[in-house]
Amino acid sequence: MSILNEISENMQQGKAKVVKELVQQAVSEGYPAKQILEDGLLAGMSIIGEKFKNNDIFVPEVLVAARAMNMGAALLKPYLMEAGVKASGKVCIGTVKGDLHDIGKNLVKMMMEGKGLEVVDLGTDVLPEKFIETAREQDCQIICCSALLTTTMGVMEDVVDLADKAGIRDNIKIMVGGAPVTEAFCHKIGADKYSPDAASAADAAIEICKNLTIEQAERGSL
Amino acid sequence: MTQKELLFSALRHEVTERAPWVPFAGVHAGALIGADAVELLTNEDVLVKALLEVNRLYKPDGQPVVFDLQLEAEILGCQLLWAKDGPPSVANHPLADTMTVPCRCTLPKPEDGRLPMVLSAMRRMKEAVGETTALYGLICGPFTLASHLRGNDIFMDMYDDEEYVKDLLGYCVDCGKLMSDYFIEAGMDVIAVVDPLVSQISSAHFEEFLTDPFADLFAHIKEKGAFSSFFVCGDATRNIEVMCKTKSDSISVDENVDILAAKAITDKYNILIGGNIPLTSIMLHGTQQDNMKYVVDLLAKVKEYKNLIIAPGCDMPYAVPIDNVIGITQAVLQTAEVREMVKNYVSVEDDIDIELPDYVHLTKPLVEVFTLDSATCAACTYMMGAANVAKEHFGDKIDMVEYKFTVKENIARCKKIGVKNLPSIYINGKLKFSSIIPSKEKLEAAINEVL
Repeated sequence: MSILNEISENMQQGKAKVVKELVQQAVSEGYPAKQILEDGLLAGMSIIGEKFKNNDIFVPEVLVAARAMNMGAALLKPYLMEAGVKASGKVCIGTVKGDLHDIGKNLVKMMMEGKGLEVVDLGTDVLPEKFIETAREQDCQIICCSALLTTTMGVMEDVVDLADKAGIRDNIKIMVGGAPVTEAFCHKIGADKYSPDAASAADAAIEICKNLTIEQAERGSL
Repeated sequence: MTQKELLFSALRHEVTERAPWVPFAGVHAGALIGADAVELLTNEDVLVKALLEVNRLYKPDGQPVVFDLQLEAEILGCQLLWAKDGPPSVANHPLADTMTVPCRCTLPKPEDGRLPMVLSAMRRMKEAVGETTALYGLICGPFTLASHLRGNDIFMDMYDDEEYVKDLLGYCVDCGKLMSDYFIEAGMDVIAVVDPLVSQISSAHFEEFLTDPFADLFAHIKEKGAFSSFFVCGDATRNIEVMCKTKSDSISVDENVDILAAKAITDKYNILIGGNIPLTSIMLHGTQQDNMKYVVDLLAKVKEYKNLIIAPGCDMPYAVPIDNVIGITQAVLQTAEVREMVKNYVSVEDDIDIELPDYVHLTKPLVEVFTLDSATCAACTYMMGAANVAKEHFGDKIDMVEYKFTVKENIARCKKIGVKNLPSIYINGKLKFSSIIPSKEKLEAAINEVL
């Protein structure tokens, strides 16, 4: 088994210490940081995401795998910066005002990081204004809103309204998710994308970032 | 046989004449009397008044007295974030930064936190409706309670320090046993151990960490002479079998579980299963017909009424329309009639020509009562009763007519007028009362307005 496969396998099992050692070894052996990240860590996280989506694994398994990934990624960070490797995009994420549930939000964050996105975590009980302000100040391409309660999902509409008023919808997209949220609800409030699970959310975010980059390039060339 | 006896019979795994109905009206109970969730969960009189209204309107065979999984956590040191239209949430976790197990001396005593209020409300409910309605005392399940105390790190702890997790769960089980004792003493017939987080772990983890604690808790409840139920929210499909092995009398599942597939498993263990009307898409946002249809369709899929309870997937949202729950009540209590009605509702074509009265030029007020069938539907009987009292009062000064939904022409009439919920009262062609039975004074006032 190649060392990159070993990184992926151990990461999926949540063996953080082993992953860290293997990443260090791969760097020493001359593997480019980008390749270790993509073919080792992110490849492993992608499998975790798929298994979680299919109910083959559950929250604890994802959390320990993500912890292992983060330890490996932290070690790689200076090498990635040195090589000029950039994130695939940047998003800010939070559970909306009045809602303290964060398991789902954390899972989405981990899956997005597992796809190479940079994620700004705003935590729980986040005001609509905070989403907008952060997205603007930190140049995020996506605002991700999570809610677990039927009584708090309405706050997502406030985020959409505020983004409309701020005139940022061309450059910043809004994604929504959480147990009571549906495609129809997303459509009704005018958000850009609904995802039923964490892995799909990460895939959708990558797609949105890619499309935004193309659109912005086209706008720039006009 | 009283409604309570029917539920008890089902809990003893006997075949019953119909499936029992247990509406999980937690904070939604407050909506019935115009009280918010904070008032409901902190004021005994408000709570009892709301629960009696649930009992009157929804005719439950079994009824939870309080649906608040934060009751124990609050006593054990968690701060709560209160909401007006939902149960409170835990805002901090006392064990987040310390991997310790609290002393047993900290476990809830009957005089702690909101327990005096809750226990007194339970006694009052027992006194008021306990003869005919089975009462559910809900306790926070040990795994969810452990997560309230420790936070999300409990999931990592399952890998990093198994012994700690087991010790903390032991503490939480002791808490559950004490709460069960208090609730049984206050008259609760069924103790429901509510543990939403169970859906978030694998069955291997369940067996490693939760099988023994839950089995211990359910054995304790049985020993104390009460029935037990295991409530789980979320997609617990993979864990139904391991849950069965903890030997509760019943299991209640959420909307994401295929209840018939799950029932095939629970039947193997002779455990009763309850569920699983979707909370948001059907109960909160659906029509009354959607709710009726969901229930009659579910009931049509079982070959006999054994080991099945009709219940919402989980705690009902605050703002579920009352009409929808009344529709469910009717579907459970008069399944055959409602099945016919739902079928008719779908099949009746608009080609039945109904001539509506000329509402603008009526010679005297016209009271139209739309019912499923006042002879068989309880809510309709009350609505019709209220209308009859008004008719007696006003005599020839008003006209009154009942339209039963069991007649196709009447369904066409309902569609033409736009009747959405049954029972309802229209006066001069305008909707005045929907599902909620008006008091004598209110109905008379509404008629007087157009006299």
